[in-house]
Amino acid sequence: MKRILIATLGSVLIATAPAVAAAQTNPVELIGDVKVDKVVVENGKEKHVLVEPGVVVPGDALLFTTTYRNAGATPIKDFVVTNPLPDAVQLAPQGADQLVVSVDGGKTFGKLTTRRVTGSDGAPRAAVEADVTHIRWVLPVLAPGASGALSYHAIVR
Amino acid sequence: MKNQIALRAASGTVAFVSACMVVLPGTAHASGVAAGTLIQNTASATYTSGSASGTVSSNTVTVKVDELLDVAVAGLTSTPAVAGSSNVVLIYSVTNTGNGPEAFDIAVNAAVAGNDFDAVVQQVVIDSNGNGTYDPGIDTVLATGSPTPAIAPDAALAVFVIVSLPGTAADGDTSQVQLTATSTTGSGTPGTVFAGQGDGGGDAVVGSSTATQSDNDALIASLASVALTKAASIVDPFGGSQPVPGAVVTYTLTATVSGTGQADSLHITDVIPAGTAYQAGTLTLDSAALSDAADTDAGEASPSGIDVNLGTVAGGSTKTVKFNVKIN
Repeated sequence: MKRILIATLGSVLIATAPAVAAAQTNPVELIGDVKVDKVVVENGKEKHVLVEPGVVVPGDALLFTTTYRNAGATPIKDFVVTNPLPDAVQLAPQGADQLVVSVDGGKTFGKLTTRRVTGSDGAPRAAVEADVTHIRWVLPVLAPGASGALSYHAIVR
Repeated sequence: MKNQIALRAASGTVAFVSACMVVLPGTAHASGVAAGTLIQNTASATYTSGSASGTVSSNTVTVKVDELLDVAVAGLTSTPAVAGSSNVVLIYSVTNTGNGPEAFDIAVNAAVAGNDFDAVVQQVVIDSNGNGTYDPGIDTVLATGSPTPAIAPDAALAVFVIVSLPGTAADGDTSQVQLTATSTTGSGTPGTVFAGQGDGGGDAVVGSSTATQSDNDALIASLASVALTKAASIVDPFGGSQPVPGAVVTYTLTATVSGTGQADSLHITDVIPAGTAYQAGTLTLDSAALSDAADTDAGEASPSGIDVNLGTVAGGSTKTVKFNVKIN
């Protein structure tokens, strides 16, 4: 009962479509993944464990991770990863203050504490996790072979 | 001289507490994203490599949202329904607090602990036209064992339970009737999974409500009892009170209605005793004259007998009928 579809589209294209991509093999790999963040009680202590998404219902916590790697021979610069939040989730409070986010559909970015939105009463108010539409990570340089993972916690609305 | 007396009364009636509109709660998306929704996440990147710039997208990861099975039940008859001789309508709401369309099995239990009497369940009816009020002949009767139609997430369905008093109920007795709604997909400990049975193709998972919930409505018996007494006083032609020919007998019939309910269609009838003759124009109700003819007033009288229609009489009242006969 696996409901995660890890499409290996990117790598398949590179491997099987040399005629199209011959001119430029993309030197950067981005691989997405998702896990369910479950709280289990073990010896009376709460513990977070990451499991493959089996059953997912509203209120469940998810951890989305994007792994990057510079597979090329030259340094990559101005590496900007943008991740629109799926409509059905909202950003979780966990780690949200560390992220650079947008609350206006990706037009402007900044720390969540600096963002403001128009409330339902028409008056501006401080943005909250549920207002976040995009997350962005900026890495100035990726040396050849450098890799890492970017992740955010979300809650199924 | 033998008198006969007859009393016809249907005791008690319904003081019906229904016509109040039911406002069912409907908050948007309280139950979360719909079952079957696909959560798809894709990241993309821009970069420069030397003098060239490039873009790259990740694979898309997809998670399907499963169906959460949750339900809330509320008895909406806030003050006990007053039950007399007619059926009483108890109103409940069944709210689908899950995230997929779901049908619910309805069970009605009239034998709640602490009851003075257990109501007789006549019918379970769903509010098919959605107006919150029981419409006989319009709203759909739920056959025994049949579930409700599917209720949309966050939507509520009013369910009417039609009950009547058992013969054992006494005036002022109270009773509760419990309605239980259970998800047809399944219920149980929160977290129980029904693989592949979720709406939208995923699994179904029991939520915090255990997918089965109950609530009670209350009713109170309001009944009336009728007691009838008959008295005679005689005035003879000689100024005495002897039952001799020519003496006039005044009969006094007193109906006493007691209880919190009311007596419906209450008639006082009496037969003119053999050997006597009804004295025309002497029929009275509570000292007011009634014509002998069968007309718009409550009474009629003939040589054979009298009939006074008291209609509906509330508990706590007394009605007095008098008429005269002359001994032949």
